[in-house]
Amino acid sequence: MSADASDLSLVRRVQRGDKGAFDALVLKYQHKLVKLVMRYVRNPAEAEDIAQEAFIKAYRALPQFRGDSAFYTWLYRIAINTAKNAVVSRDRSPIEYDLDRNNEESYDMQGRLKDSETPEGLVLTDEIRSTVNAAIDALPEDLRTAIVLRELEGLSYEEIAAAMACPVGTVRSRIFRAREAIDHRLREVFEGGLGRAEELG
Amino acid sequence: MNEELDSQLSAMFDDELAPEQCELLARRLSRDEQLKARWGRYAVIGAAIRSERGVRLNPPLAGRVSAVILDEPALATAHTARRSGVRWWQPLAGAAVAVGVALVSVLWLRAQAPLAGAPLSAHLTAPLATATVPGAAVVPAAAAGAPDSYVVPRAPAVRAPVVPSTELANYVVAHSVFSSPVGRRNLLSAFMTSESGSAAEEPPDEPAVHAQ
Amino acid sequence: MPSSERFVALTLAWAVAGAALAQETPPARAPAHKTSLDQAPARKTSLDSAPAQKRSLESAPAHKTSLDSAPAHWLERMNQALTTRNYDGTFSHWHGGHVEMLRIIHRVQDGTVSERLASLDGSGREFIRAGASLTCYLPDKRTVLVEQRPPEESLVGFPAVNDQSASFYDIREGTRTRLNRRDTHVITVSPKDEYRYGYRLWIDDSTAMPLKTQLCDTRGHVIEQIVFASLTLPAHIPDSAFRPEVSTAGFQWLRNESAPPAPTAATLAWNAMRLPPGFRMTARSAQTLPGSADPVDHLVFTDGLASVSVFVEPQRREHADQPAVPESAAVGSSSAFSTVIDGHKITAVGEVPPDTVRFIASQLKAEELPAVSSRRH
Repeated sequence: MSADASDLSLVRRVQRGDKGAFDALVLKYQHKLVKLVMRYVRNPAEAEDIAQEAFIKAYRALPQFRGDSAFYTWLYRIAINTAKNAVVSRDRSPIEYDLDRNNEESYDMQGRLKDSETPEGLVLTDEIRSTVNAAIDALPEDLRTAIVLRELEGLSYEEIAAAMACPVGTVRSRIFRAREAIDHRLREVFEGGLGRAEELG
Repeated sequence: MNEELDSQLSAMFDDELAPEQCELLARRLSRDEQLKARWGRYAVIGAAIRSERGVRLNPPLAGRVSAVILDEPALATAHTARRSGVRWWQPLAGAAVAVGVALVSVLWLRAQAPLAGAPLSAHLTAPLATATVPGAAVVPAAAAGAPDSYVVPRAPAVRAPVVPSTELANYVVAHSVFSSPVGRRNLLSAFMTSESGSAAEEPPDEPAVHAQ
Repeated sequence: MPSSERFVALTLAWAVAGAALAQETPPARAPAHKTSLDQAPARKTSLDSAPAQKRSLESAPAHKTSLDSAPAHWLERMNQALTTRNYDGTFSHWHGGHVEMLRIIHRVQDGTVSERLASLDGSGREFIRAGASLTCYLPDKRTVLVEQRPPEESLVGFPAVNDQSASFYDIREGTRTRLNRRDTHVITVSPKDEYRYGYRLWIDDSTAMPLKTQLCDTRGHVIEQIVFASLTLPAHIPDSAFRPEVSTAGFQWLRNESAPPAPTAATLAWNAMRLPPGFRMTARSAQTLPGSADPVDHLVFTDGLASVSVFVEPQRREHADQPAVPESAAVGSSSAFSTVIDGHKITAVGEVPPDTVRFIASQLKAEELPAVSSRRH
């Protein structure tokens, strides 16, 4: 699929020995993967560990990836397998665990951990989220609509162009400008502000 | 820099950048820490918008993965083929085979042939005939940092299908009689396409010869 | 071809076929755009609330899902259309990031169902049903499976959506929308737990055919999608339409016995000790599977929408050319799971998440029967 050109270009670089290119793949998919793994384990820290393991497995298996499927599809399967193995190896039936829907004791309605789990990372999460929210609220409507349709609804540029009755080039520009505006505020959080920010490299 | 160039990173993040431009930008991205950080923040923005419950927006994940990988040997592909018809599992002269390649579960190893030199499972000995592998890049056995010289691949190849076992086929067919009409259509459609498969699947004994 | 070109091509093919379907020509409209955009207004764009994700329903449903209500009624009409009408169409099947095209031809004539489902790109596999005979062509295995079902199964009816089954799903009608110039009802079927999948169905207003079908996990993510690219409902379909296109020279043919083995003094009856909520057994039979003479117990469990078959056979050494079904398998979004209980191989298959088949299979237990009888459904 041509839509996979972005990932494939990075994957090919990794396959040729460029480890920095793999960082970009991790950065792009880490949230998605953690969210995926959280279907199997509720604990975010544990989910992150499993996601980390999945990424490393993916890196090692990358020579065998031939682009037959989308990279994320391939990565997704590795993550599921890793998560399932992790759960099973804890002697816990995945069904009982996942279906325990009334067991919300660890979380309040916003999904924040109530007990003593890693407060530091989570404070940063709240800070980031409110920064992004505020930045988006401050955007002109056409930029806001474009970025929301992209990130929340997952629409392609073409679909957004149809929805907003504008050319695809305009969609690309609006999304880019929206990101730049949000990023401007976000950089402050990452490069200063509360807590230590974790940056790569 | 004008917006056209500047917005490339954003477009590439959305899989909306032309393949040739992806290649060039990927190279920059891997080497430019600031560009990489921006890319990472794009992902954070998306995750923040989706407000995924319980997921940390800035986990230490990427840094840790990067650190682990730094210690790993560099990958070097031995499995890509030239369009001239070299069997793709034969290593190009001088190419190193990745050490410590994990044997990934066969669920997503579709009709693969083994890397020469890698440990072989018993059933992976038969070489596949060369159905052409359009979509593979020509790769010189170059170390990282060598000048890029590669061919932009053509459209992705037809996937080699995973062959269902006869037993699975039997069960699927027998069950399909009892599915709801929509469920049945989903089930049989999936079965008719290449998407069916299982964890202990064997690769096909014969080449997948299908018109495209 | 690039996805945008393909989209246009499909739309054009649809426009041609649409004329054949319409009883009145729909008024011309701006070029069709993907239906997901029509869904967008219904969703909030405020960022403080989580996106419209599936939440567990804490209390009794606040909506009615009785048969008289429109959404379930549309499901019924759709099932009727799929099982009783003649149709010939091509559709795309999307799963796991891949799209393939298939052709389906379906005919009901003199009480007999004929059906042909063929892959148009890729595997070359075909599935053909002629009355009670199911044939599966697997060119990649150079094998043909032929399964004879009991004659009375020529037209199997699926249980109607009823109040009981509906209580495990949240069935709603969304905004009516147009899909490729046809009026459709958008019905969402949301599962109330993780044991089953959900659906989003775009049901054609005039024919009740599902023009687009999405299968979703419990968080509303689309796992599988089927969209018709072309569809006609001919009054007559010739027999020749149901002949396979694959050449079977040199293939091995595996058939099952047309009559199930005579019931020996069957002393064991298998049953599931526990089932996921809402599932109950609706069928039980003994049969043989193509290529084998061993009797197989076939149990069917359903919650009214999803169904799971469990096959029980004595564990035996597999033939070399028939690799064992592994512990877990996936057929698109459907799942299979195999295990061994009390010397018997138990295999569960169904259009449910993997954990559901695993759960059901592992709950199978044999009970001693007091007297001789092999029960048939």
